Amino acid sequence: MTSDEALMLEFQGGSRAAFEELFARYRKPLYGFFGRRLNNPERAEDLTQETFLAVIRAASRYEPRASVRTYLYGIALKLLAAERRKLLISGALGRSVPEAKTDGTPECVLWVRQALEKLDAPEREILMLREYEQLSYSDIAELLRIPLNTVRSRLFRSRLALKSYLESEAKTNPDLRASAEQPRPGRRGMQ
Amino acid sequence: MSTNRHPIEQEELMAYLDGELPTDQATQTLSHMELCPECQTLAADFRGVSQELMAWEVESSEVGIPSMINAALGERHQKPEAAKVNSPRLENRVLTSRWVWAGALAIVCVAVGLTLTVTSRNRNEDRSTAYASMASIEQYLIQNRNAEIALARSAAPEAISNNAKILVFGWQGYETAIEGKNGFVCMVERSWMSPFNSAEFWNPKVRVPMCFNPAAARSILPLTIKRTEMILAGISKAQMIDSIKAGFDNKELPLPESGAMCYMMSRAGYLNDALGHFVPHLMFYFPLTDKSSWGADLRDSPVTLNPQFRDGPEPITEFVIPVGKWSDGTAAPVM
Repeated sequence: MTSDEALMLEFQGGSRAAFEELFARYRKPLYGFFGRRLNNPERAEDLTQETFLAVIRAASRYEPRASVRTYLYGIALKLLAAERRKLLISGALGRSVPEAKTDGTPECVLWVRQALEKLDAPEREILMLREYEQLSYSDIAELLRIPLNTVRSRLFRSRLALKSYLESEAKTNPDLRASAEQPRPGRRGMQ
Repeated sequence: MSTNRHPIEQEELMAYLDGELPTDQATQTLSHMELCPECQTLAADFRGVSQELMAWEVESSEVGIPSMINAALGERHQKPEAAKVNSPRLENRVLTSRWVWAGALAIVCVAVGLTLTVTSRNRNEDRSTAYASMASIEQYLIQNRNAEIALARSAAPEAISNNAKILVFGWQGYETAIEGKNGFVCMVERSWMSPFNSAEFWNPKVRVPMCFNPAAARSILPLTIKRTEMILAGISKAQMIDSIKAGFDNKELPLPESGAMCYMMSRAGYLNDALGHFVPHLMFYFPLTDKSSWGADLRDSPVTLNPQFRDGPEPITEFVIPVGKWSDGTAAPVM
Protein backbone atom coordinates (compact mmCIF):
# COMPACT_ATOMS: atom_id res chain seq x y z
CA MET A 1 0.00 0.00 0.00
CA THR A 2 1.39 3.40 -0.94
CA SER A 3 2.06 5.52 2.13
CA ASP A 4 0.16 8.75 2.73
CA GLU A 5 3.40 10.68 2.50
CA ALA A 6 4.26 9.18 -0.89
CA LEU A 7 0.75 10.02 -2.12
CA MET A 8 1.12 13.58 -0.91
CA LEU A 9 4.40 13.96 -2.77
CA GLU A 10 2.82 12.44 -5.89
CA PHE A 11 -0.03 14.93 -5.58
CA GLN A 12 2.47 17.73 -5.17
CA GLY A 13 4.00 16.53 -8.42
CA GLY A 14 0.62 16.83 -10.15
CA SER A 15 -1.05 13.44 -9.66
CA ARG A 16 -4.79 13.81 -9.28
CA ALA A 17 -5.13 10.09 -8.60
CA ALA A 18 -2.89 10.47 -5.55
CA PHE A 19 -5.19 13.18 -4.18
CA GLU A 20 -8.24 11.02 -4.82
CA GLU A 21 -6.63 8.21 -2.87
CA LEU A 22 -5.87 10.53 0.05
CA PHE A 23 -9.42 11.85 -0.13
CA ALA A 24 -10.77 8.30 0.00
CA ARG A 25 -8.59 7.49 3.02
CA TYR A 26 -9.31 10.58 5.07
CA ARG A 27 -12.74 11.82 4.12
CA LYS A 28 -14.61 9.73 6.67
CA PRO A 29 -12.10 10.18 9.50
CA LEU A 30 -12.14 13.96 9.01
CA TYR A 31 -15.90 14.03 8.83
CA GLY A 32 -15.94 12.09 12.09
CA PHE A 33 -13.49 14.57 13.60
CA PHE A 34 -15.76 17.54 12.88
CA GLY A 35 -18.97 15.59 13.42
CA ARG A 36 -18.11 14.63 16.98
CA ARG A 37 -16.88 18.07 17.93
CA LEU A 38 -19.62 20.16 16.38
CA ASN A 39 -22.61 17.82 16.43
CA ASN A 40 -23.72 19.50 13.21
CA PRO A 41 -23.59 17.26 10.12
CA GLU A 42 -23.84 20.11 7.60
CA ARG A 43 -20.95 22.05 9.10
CA ALA A 44 -18.98 18.84 9.53
CA GLU A 45 -19.34 18.22 5.80
CA ASP A 46 -18.38 21.80 4.92
CA LEU A 47 -15.32 21.77 7.14
CA THR A 48 -14.20 18.39 5.83
CA GLN A 49 -14.27 19.89 2.34
CA GLU A 50 -12.46 22.99 3.54
CA THR A 51 -9.71 20.80 4.98
CA PHE A 52 -9.13 19.19 1.59
CA LEU A 53 -9.34 22.57 -0.14
CA ALA A 54 -6.61 23.82 2.19
CA VAL A 55 -4.51 20.79 1.24
CA ILE A 56 -4.96 21.57 -2.46
CA ARG A 57 -4.07 25.23 -1.99
CA ALA A 58 -1.02 24.51 0.15
CA ALA A 59 0.20 21.45 -1.76
CA SER A 60 3.18 23.24 -3.24
CA ARG A 61 4.38 24.22 0.24
CA TYR A 62 3.94 20.78 1.80
CA GLU A 63 7.11 19.34 3.29
CA PRO A 64 7.17 15.79 4.60
CA ARG A 65 8.30 16.79 8.10
CA ALA A 66 5.26 15.34 9.82
CA SER A 67 2.99 12.50 8.79
CA VAL A 68 0.17 13.41 6.42
CA ARG A 69 -2.22 12.27 9.13
CA THR A 70 -0.84 14.84 11.57
CA TYR A 71 -0.75 17.46 8.84
CA LEU A 72 -4.43 16.93 8.00
CA TYR A 73 -5.57 17.00 11.60
CA GLY A 74 -3.45 20.11 12.12
CA ILE A 75 -5.48 21.85 9.41
CA ALA A 76 -8.69 20.40 10.84
CA LEU A 77 -7.90 21.71 14.34
CA LYS A 78 -7.31 25.22 12.96
CA LEU A 79 -10.59 25.16 11.05
CA LEU A 80 -12.36 23.87 14.15
CA ALA A 81 -10.93 26.67 16.28
CA ALA A 82 -12.11 29.23 13.72
CA GLU A 83 -15.55 27.65 13.65
CA ARG A 84 -15.80 27.76 17.42
CA ARG A 85 -14.79 31.43 17.44
CA LYS A 86 -17.57 32.13 14.93
CA LEU A 87 -20.06 30.30 17.09
CA LEU A 88 -18.96 32.24 20.16
CA ILE A 89 -19.32 35.55 18.34
CA SER A 90 -22.73 34.53 17.00
CA GLY A 91 -23.79 33.65 20.53
CA ALA A 92 -22.45 36.94 21.91
CA LEU A 93 -24.35 38.89 19.24
CA GLY A 94 -27.54 37.13 20.21
CA ARG A 95 -27.84 35.19 16.96
CA SER A 96 -29.16 31.71 17.25
CA VAL A 97 -26.49 29.06 17.43
CA PRO A 98 -27.72 25.72 16.07
CA GLU A 99 -28.41 23.21 18.81
CA ALA A 100 -26.65 19.89 18.69
CA LYS A 101 -28.95 17.46 16.91
CA THR A 102 -30.09 14.53 18.99
CA ASP A 103 -33.03 13.22 16.94
CA GLY A 104 -32.66 9.54 16.35
CA THR A 105 -29.34 9.39 18.19
CA PRO A 106 -29.05 6.11 20.10
CA GLU A 107 -29.13 6.54 23.86
CA CYS A 108 -25.76 4.92 24.31
CA VAL A 109 -24.24 7.59 22.04
CA LEU A 110 -25.96 10.39 23.96
CA TRP A 111 -24.58 8.86 27.10
CA VAL A 112 -21.01 8.87 25.76
CA ARG A 113 -21.42 12.44 24.52
CA GLN A 114 -22.67 13.59 27.89
CA ALA A 115 -19.81 11.87 29.66
CA LEU A 116 -17.26 13.49 27.32
CA GLU A 117 -18.83 16.92 27.86
CA LYS A 118 -18.14 16.60 31.56
CA LEU A 119 -14.39 16.45 30.96
CA ASP A 120 -12.26 19.60 30.91
CA ALA A 121 -11.92 20.79 27.33
CA PRO A 122 -8.13 20.22 26.98
CA GLU A 123 -8.40 16.71 28.42
CA ARG A 124 -11.41 15.93 26.24
CA GLU A 125 -9.54 17.02 23.12
CA ILE A 126 -6.56 14.80 23.93
CA LEU A 127 -8.78 11.85 24.67
CA MET A 128 -10.73 12.30 21.44
CA LEU A 129 -7.59 12.72 19.33
CA ARG A 130 -6.29 9.49 20.78
CA GLU A 131 -9.46 7.40 20.74
CA TYR A 132 -11.21 8.57 17.61
CA GLU A 133 -8.41 9.95 15.45
CA GLN A 134 -5.94 7.29 16.64
CA LEU A 135 -3.09 9.78 16.88
CA SER A 136 0.06 8.87 18.77
CA TYR A 137 1.08 10.72 21.91
CA SER A 138 3.83 12.53 20.01
CA ASP A 139 1.44 13.55 17.22
CA ILE A 140 -0.97 14.97 19.79
CA ALA A 141 1.85 16.77 21.59
CA GLU A 142 2.96 18.32 18.31
CA LEU A 143 -0.54 19.35 17.24
CA LEU A 144 -1.51 20.88 20.58
CA ARG A 145 1.99 22.19 21.25
CA ILE A 146 2.26 20.67 24.68
CA PRO A 147 4.89 18.36 26.17
CA LEU A 148 4.57 14.63 25.57
CA ASN A 149 4.33 13.91 29.30
CA THR A 150 1.43 16.32 29.56
CA VAL A 151 -0.38 14.41 26.85
CA ARG A 152 0.14 11.18 28.72
CA SER A 153 -0.88 12.48 32.14
CA ARG A 154 -3.97 14.28 30.79
CA LEU A 155 -4.98 11.25 28.80
CA PHE A 156 -4.64 9.12 31.90
CA ARG A 157 -6.74 11.53 33.98
CA SER A 158 -9.40 11.83 31.33
CA ARG A 159 -9.74 8.07 30.95
CA LEU A 160 -10.09 7.58 34.68
CA ALA A 161 -12.61 10.43 34.89
CA LEU A 162 -14.59 9.03 32.00
CA LYS A 163 -14.62 5.60 33.55
CA SER A 164 -15.95 7.10 36.76
CA TYR A 165 -18.69 9.09 34.93
CA LEU A 166 -19.73 6.10 32.90
CA GLU A 167 -19.88 3.90 35.99
CA SER A 168 -21.99 6.38 37.92
CA GLU A 169 -24.35 6.71 34.94
CA ALA A 170 -24.56 2.94 34.71
CA LYS A 171 -25.63 2.71 38.33
CA THR A 172 -28.45 5.18 37.80
CA ASN A 173 -29.48 3.72 34.43
CA PRO A 174 -28.51 0.06 34.09
CA ASP A 175 -30.56 -0.50 30.89
CA LEU A 176 -28.52 2.11 29.08
CA ARG A 177 -25.31 0.41 30.11
CA ALA A 178 -26.55 -2.84 28.65
CA SER A 179 -27.32 -1.20 25.31
CA ALA A 180 -23.90 0.48 25.22
CA GLU A 181 -22.18 -2.82 25.75
CA GLN A 182 -23.65 -4.45 22.65
CA PRO A 183 -20.81 -5.36 20.28
CA ARG A 184 -20.56 -3.17 17.21
CA PRO A 185 -18.72 -3.77 13.97
CA GLY A 186 -15.78 -1.60 13.06
CA ARG A 187 -14.82 -0.61 16.57
CA ARG A 188 -11.38 0.81 17.02
CA GLY A 189 -9.37 2.09 19.92
CA MET A 190 -8.08 0.41 23.03
CA GLN A 191 -10.26 -2.70 22.97
CA MET B 1 -1.74 0.63 43.27
CA SER B 2 1.57 0.88 45.09
CA THR B 3 4.68 1.22 42.98
CA ASN B 4 6.49 -0.93 45.55
CA ARG B 5 4.43 -3.91 44.49
CA HIS B 6 4.22 -2.92 40.84
CA PRO B 7 7.35 -2.28 38.82
CA ILE B 8 5.27 -0.15 36.44
CA GLU B 9 3.22 2.99 36.95
CA GLN B 10 -0.45 3.04 36.00
CA GLU B 11 0.31 5.63 33.31
CA GLU B 12 2.90 3.28 31.87
CA LEU B 13 0.35 0.50 31.74
CA MET B 14 -1.95 2.80 29.80
CA ALA B 15 0.90 3.77 27.47
CA TYR B 16 1.63 0.09 26.92
CA LEU B 17 -1.97 -0.55 25.91
CA ASP B 18 -1.71 2.38 23.52
CA GLY B 19 1.44 0.88 21.96
CA GLU B 20 3.45 3.86 23.18
CA LEU B 21 6.17 2.19 25.24
CA PRO B 22 9.64 1.36 23.93
CA THR B 23 10.27 -2.35 23.48
CA ASP B 24 12.17 -2.93 26.72
CA GLN B 25 9.51 -1.26 28.84
CA ALA B 26 6.72 -2.90 26.88
CA THR B 27 8.28 -6.31 27.46
CA GLN B 28 8.62 -5.60 31.17
CA THR B 29 5.04 -4.38 31.37
CA LEU B 30 3.69 -7.37 29.49
CA SER B 31 5.65 -9.70 31.69
CA HIS B 32 4.32 -8.05 34.86
CA MET B 33 0.75 -7.91 33.60
CA GLU B 34 0.66 -11.62 32.99
CA LEU B 35 1.16 -12.18 36.71
CA CYS B 36 -0.72 -9.22 38.19
CA PRO B 37 -4.53 -9.45 38.45
CA GLU B 38 -4.70 -5.84 39.67
CA CYS B 39 -3.02 -4.54 36.51
CA GLN B 40 -5.14 -6.84 34.37
CA THR B 41 -8.24 -5.25 35.93
CA LEU B 42 -6.94 -1.76 35.27
CA ALA B 43 -6.14 -2.73 31.68
CA ALA B 44 -9.65 -4.14 31.30
CA ASP B 45 -11.05 -0.85 32.65
CA PHE B 46 -9.09 1.18 30.10
CA ARG B 47 -10.24 -1.10 27.31
CA GLY B 48 -13.80 -0.82 28.56
CA VAL B 49 -13.65 2.99 28.33
CA SER B 50 -12.36 2.76 24.77
CA GLN B 51 -15.08 0.33 23.81
CA GLU B 52 -17.79 2.53 25.22
CA LEU B 53 -16.41 5.54 23.35
CA MET B 54 -16.58 3.58 20.13
CA ALA B 55 -20.36 3.50 20.46
CA TRP B 56 -20.25 7.02 19.02
CA GLU B 57 -19.91 6.38 15.33
CA VAL B 58 -20.33 9.23 12.89
CA GLU B 59 -21.48 8.31 9.43
CA SER B 60 -21.52 10.58 6.45
CA SER B 61 -23.87 10.06 3.53
CA GLU B 62 -21.67 11.84 0.96
CA VAL B 63 -19.83 9.80 -1.63
CA GLY B 64 -17.35 10.87 -4.29
CA ILE B 65 -15.37 14.05 -4.59
CA PRO B 66 -17.57 17.14 -4.08
CA SER B 67 -17.79 19.61 -6.97
CA MET B 68 -16.01 22.36 -5.01
CA ILE B 69 -12.96 20.17 -4.57
CA ASN B 70 -13.13 19.00 -8.17
CA ALA B 71 -13.10 22.61 -9.28
CA ALA B 72 -10.12 23.43 -7.07
CA LEU B 73 -8.25 20.43 -8.44
CA GLY B 74 -9.00 21.52 -12.00
CA GLU B 75 -7.83 25.04 -11.23
CA ARG B 76 -4.62 23.76 -9.69
CA HIS B 77 -3.78 21.76 -12.78
CA GLN B 78 -4.67 24.54 -15.21
CA LYS B 79 -2.66 27.28 -13.49
CA PRO B 80 0.79 26.34 -14.73
CA GLU B 81 -0.47 26.00 -18.32
CA ALA B 82 -2.31 29.33 -18.14
CA ALA B 83 0.76 31.05 -16.83
CA LYS B 84 2.78 29.85 -19.81
CA VAL B 85 0.22 30.96 -22.42
CA ASN B 86 -1.09 34.19 -20.93
CA SER B 87 2.11 35.92 -20.04
CA PRO B 88 3.85 37.08 -23.22
CA ARG B 89 5.98 39.56 -21.34
CA LEU B 90 7.30 36.87 -19.11
CA GLU B 91 7.68 34.57 -22.11
CA ASN B 92 9.76 37.17 -23.97
CA ARG B 93 11.89 37.81 -20.97
CA VAL B 94 12.48 34.12 -20.53
CA LEU B 95 13.30 33.68 -24.22
CA THR B 96 15.66 36.64 -24.45
CA SER B 97 17.54 35.53 -21.43
CA ARG B 98 17.45 31.83 -22.20
CA TRP B 99 21.22 31.47 -21.96
CA VAL B 100 21.23 33.14 -18.58
CA TRP B 101 18.50 30.73 -17.46
CA ALA B 102 20.23 27.76 -19.03
CA GLY B 103 23.44 28.62 -17.21
CA ALA B 104 21.61 29.15 -13.93
CA LEU B 105 19.68 25.92 -14.37
CA ALA B 106 22.88 24.01 -15.04
CA ILE B 107 24.44 25.42 -11.89
CA VAL B 108 21.33 24.60 -9.85
CA CYS B 109 21.21 21.07 -11.26
CA VAL B 110 24.85 20.45 -10.45
CA ALA B 111 24.40 21.93 -6.97
CA VAL B 112 21.22 19.95 -6.29
CA GLY B 113 22.79 16.81 -7.70
CA LEU B 114 25.85 17.21 -5.52
CA THR B 115 23.74 18.00 -2.46
CA LEU B 116 21.49 14.99 -3.04
CA THR B 117 24.44 12.72 -3.66
CA VAL B 118 26.25 13.92 -0.56
CA THR B 119 23.09 13.89 1.60
CA SER B 120 22.06 10.48 0.37
CA ARG B 121 25.57 9.13 0.83
CA ASN B 122 25.75 10.61 4.33
CA ARG B 123 22.37 9.19 5.23
CA ASN B 124 23.29 5.75 3.92
CA GLU B 125 26.65 5.92 5.65
CA ASP B 126 24.95 6.96 8.91
CA ARG B 127 22.64 3.96 8.72
CA SER B 128 25.18 1.43 7.57
CA THR B 129 27.89 2.53 9.96
CA ALA B 130 25.51 2.63 12.93
CA TYR B 131 25.40 -1.18 12.97
CA ALA B 132 28.47 -1.97 10.91
CA SER B 133 29.38 -5.10 12.83
CA MET B 134 28.03 -7.49 15.39
CA ALA B 135 27.58 -6.09 18.89
CA SER B 136 28.47 -8.16 21.95
CA ILE B 137 26.16 -11.15 22.47
CA GLU B 138 24.87 -9.64 25.73
CA GLN B 139 23.22 -6.89 23.74
CA TYR B 140 21.15 -9.40 21.80
CA LEU B 141 20.09 -11.32 24.89
CA ILE B 142 17.01 -10.56 26.97
CA GLN B 143 18.24 -10.96 30.51
CA ASN B 144 14.87 -11.79 32.01
CA ARG B 145 13.87 -15.21 30.66
CA ASN B 146 10.23 -14.73 31.66
CA ALA B 147 10.17 -11.44 29.79
CA GLU B 148 11.40 -13.19 26.64
CA ILE B 149 8.77 -15.90 27.06
CA ALA B 150 6.06 -13.26 27.44
CA LEU B 151 7.38 -11.36 24.44
CA ALA B 152 7.48 -14.53 22.32
CA ARG B 153 3.91 -15.38 23.33
CA SER B 154 2.74 -11.88 22.45
CA ALA B 155 3.28 -12.74 18.76
CA ALA B 156 -0.06 -14.54 18.57
CA PRO B 157 -3.42 -14.42 20.37
CA GLU B 158 -3.40 -16.30 23.70
CA ALA B 159 -5.62 -19.03 22.30
CA ILE B 160 -2.66 -20.01 20.13
CA SER B 161 0.42 -18.95 22.07
CA ASN B 162 -0.63 -20.35 25.45
CA ASN B 163 -0.27 -23.86 24.05
CA ALA B 164 2.70 -23.17 21.80
CA LYS B 165 6.25 -24.30 22.29
CA ILE B 166 8.38 -21.34 23.41
CA LEU B 167 11.99 -20.88 22.37
CA VAL B 168 14.30 -18.35 24.02
CA PHE B 169 17.64 -17.09 22.78
CA GLY B 170 20.66 -17.86 24.97
CA TRP B 171 24.42 -18.00 24.74
CA GLN B 172 24.27 -21.29 22.85
CA GLY B 173 21.45 -20.30 20.50
CA TYR B 174 17.73 -20.94 20.77
CA GLU B 175 16.60 -23.37 23.45
CA THR B 176 13.22 -24.69 24.47
CA ALA B 177 11.83 -22.83 27.47
CA ILE B 178 8.35 -24.36 27.44
CA GLU B 179 7.11 -27.43 25.60
CA GLY B 180 3.99 -26.91 23.51
CA LYS B 181 0.83 -28.86 22.80
CA ASN B 182 -0.49 -27.46 19.54
CA GLY B 183 2.48 -27.64 17.15
CA PHE B 184 2.98 -23.85 17.07
CA VAL B 185 6.36 -22.40 18.03
CA CYS B 186 6.73 -18.87 19.38
CA MET B 187 10.08 -17.11 19.65
CA VAL B 188 11.74 -13.71 19.37
CA GLU B 189 13.93 -13.34 16.31
CA ARG B 190 16.97 -11.06 16.29
CA SER B 191 18.34 -8.68 13.69
CA TRP B 192 20.28 -11.29 11.70
CA MET B 193 17.06 -12.57 10.18
CA SER B 194 17.01 -9.30 8.18
CA PRO B 195 18.17 -9.39 4.54
CA PHE B 196 21.94 -9.76 4.37
CA ASN B 197 22.29 -6.31 2.80
CA SER B 198 20.14 -4.62 5.44
CA ALA B 199 21.75 -1.68 7.25
CA GLU B 200 20.21 -3.06 10.44
CA PHE B 201 21.51 -6.62 10.11
CA TRP B 202 23.43 -6.16 13.36
CA ASN B 203 21.01 -3.81 15.14
CA PRO B 204 20.98 -5.20 18.71
CA LYS B 205 17.69 -3.45 19.52
CA VAL B 206 15.71 -5.61 17.13
CA ARG B 207 13.23 -7.97 18.83
CA VAL B 208 10.77 -9.69 16.50
CA PRO B 209 8.18 -11.87 18.23
CA MET B 210 6.95 -14.58 15.86
CA CYS B 211 4.66 -17.54 16.24
CA PHE B 212 5.05 -20.18 13.52
CA ASN B 213 2.23 -22.56 12.71
CA PRO B 214 3.16 -26.28 12.58
CA ALA B 215 3.98 -26.20 8.84
CA ALA B 216 6.24 -23.17 9.30
CA ALA B 217 7.75 -24.59 12.47
CA ARG B 218 8.88 -27.56 10.38
CA SER B 219 9.98 -25.69 7.27
CA ILE B 220 10.82 -22.04 8.14
CA LEU B 221 12.06 -22.23 11.71
CA PRO B 222 15.08 -24.39 10.72
CA LEU B 223 16.33 -21.41 8.75
CA THR B 224 16.22 -19.17 11.83
CA ILE B 225 18.02 -21.82 13.83
CA LYS B 226 20.68 -22.25 11.15
CA ARG B 227 21.34 -18.52 10.70
CA THR B 228 21.58 -18.12 14.48
CA GLU B 229 24.04 -21.01 14.80
CA MET B 230 26.22 -19.49 12.10
CA ILE B 231 26.08 -16.06 13.75
CA LEU B 232 27.20 -17.52 17.07
CA ALA B 233 29.94 -19.44 15.27
CA GLY B 234 31.21 -16.09 14.02
CA ILE B 235 31.33 -16.94 10.32
CA SER B 236 31.19 -14.21 7.68
CA LYS B 237 28.08 -13.14 5.78
CA ALA B 238 29.54 -14.51 2.54
CA GLN B 239 30.11 -17.90 4.18
CA MET B 240 26.60 -17.82 5.62
CA ILE B 241 25.11 -17.14 2.21
CA ASP B 242 27.09 -20.03 0.68
CA SER B 243 26.12 -22.33 3.50
CA ILE B 244 22.41 -21.51 3.17
CA LYS B 245 22.52 -22.07 -0.60
CA ALA B 246 24.22 -25.41 -0.03
CA GLY B 247 21.69 -26.25 2.67
CA PHE B 248 18.82 -25.86 0.22
CA ASP B 249 20.72 -27.67 -2.54
CA ASN B 250 21.40 -30.72 -0.39
CA LYS B 251 17.92 -30.62 1.20
CA GLU B 252 19.33 -30.00 4.67
CA LEU B 253 17.07 -26.94 4.69
CA PRO B 254 13.48 -27.64 3.61
CA LEU B 255 11.41 -25.54 1.27
CA PRO B 256 8.29 -23.95 2.82
CA GLU B 257 5.60 -26.54 3.41
CA SER B 258 2.13 -25.96 2.07
CA GLY B 259 0.24 -23.70 4.49
CA ALA B 260 3.34 -22.38 6.26
CA MET B 261 2.54 -19.12 8.00
CA CYS B 262 3.44 -17.05 11.00
CA TYR B 263 1.69 -14.68 13.40
CA MET B 264 3.40 -11.35 14.06
CA MET B 265 0.81 -9.54 16.11
CA SER B 266 2.88 -8.31 19.06
CA ARG B 267 2.54 -4.68 20.04
CA ALA B 268 5.78 -5.00 22.03
CA GLY B 269 8.08 -6.02 19.19
CA TYR B 270 10.72 -3.85 17.57
CA LEU B 271 11.23 -4.76 13.93
CA ASN B 272 13.90 -2.19 13.17
CA ASP B 273 14.66 1.50 13.55
CA ALA B 274 12.56 2.39 10.54
CA LEU B 275 9.44 0.40 11.41
CA GLY B 276 9.45 0.28 15.21
CA HIS B 277 6.51 -1.82 16.39
CA PHE B 278 5.13 -1.74 12.81
CA VAL B 279 1.55 -3.06 12.56
CA PRO B 280 0.19 -6.49 13.49
CA HIS B 281 0.36 -8.81 10.51
CA LEU B 282 0.46 -12.37 9.27
CA MET B 283 3.15 -13.82 7.02
CA PHE B 284 2.75 -16.59 4.48
CA TYR B 285 5.66 -18.56 3.03
CA PHE B 286 6.04 -20.23 -0.36
CA PRO B 287 8.78 -21.68 -2.53
CA LEU B 288 9.75 -18.90 -4.98
CA THR B 289 6.49 -17.52 -6.35
CA ASP B 290 5.66 -14.55 -8.55
CA LYS B 291 4.18 -11.82 -6.40
CA SER B 292 1.43 -11.26 -8.94
CA SER B 293 -0.03 -14.66 -7.98
CA TRP B 294 -1.15 -13.00 -4.74
CA GLY B 295 -1.75 -9.55 -6.22
CA ALA B 296 0.96 -8.29 -3.89
CA ASP B 297 2.08 -4.65 -3.99
CA LEU B 298 -0.74 -3.67 -6.34
CA ARG B 299 -2.69 -0.51 -5.65
CA ASP B 300 -5.10 -1.01 -2.69
CA SER B 301 -4.00 -4.61 -2.27
CA PRO B 302 -3.48 -5.45 1.40
CA VAL B 303 -0.84 -8.00 0.41
CA THR B 304 2.81 -6.98 0.33
CA LEU B 305 5.87 -8.92 -0.75
CA ASN B 306 8.17 -9.03 2.25
CA PRO B 307 11.78 -8.20 1.30
CA GLN B 308 13.23 -10.50 3.99
CA PHE B 309 14.33 -13.19 1.55
CA ARG B 310 14.19 -11.19 -1.69
CA ASP B 311 17.50 -11.45 -3.58
CA GLY B 312 18.81 -13.62 -0.73
CA PRO B 313 20.08 -17.20 -0.77
CA GLU B 314 16.76 -18.59 0.47
CA PRO B 315 14.43 -19.66 -2.36
CA ILE B 316 11.44 -18.39 -0.42
CA THR B 317 8.70 -15.89 -1.20
CA GLU B 318 7.04 -14.28 1.79
CA PHE B 319 3.78 -12.34 1.72
CA VAL B 320 2.61 -10.01 4.47
CA ILE B 321 -0.99 -9.13 5.28
CA PRO B 322 -1.68 -6.53 7.99
CA VAL B 323 -4.49 -7.29 10.44
CA GLY B 324 -6.63 -4.94 12.49
CA LYS B 325 -5.73 -5.99 16.01
CA TRP B 326 -2.72 -6.71 18.14
CA SER B 327 -2.55 -10.16 19.72
CA ASP B 328 -4.12 -8.85 22.94
CA GLY B 329 -7.23 -7.82 21.01
CA THR B 330 -6.55 -4.08 21.07
CA ALA B 331 -6.99 -2.15 17.86
CA ALA B 332 -4.02 -1.50 15.64
CA PRO B 333 -3.17 1.90 14.19
CA VAL B 334 -4.80 2.64 10.87
CA MET B 335 -2.28 2.23 8.07
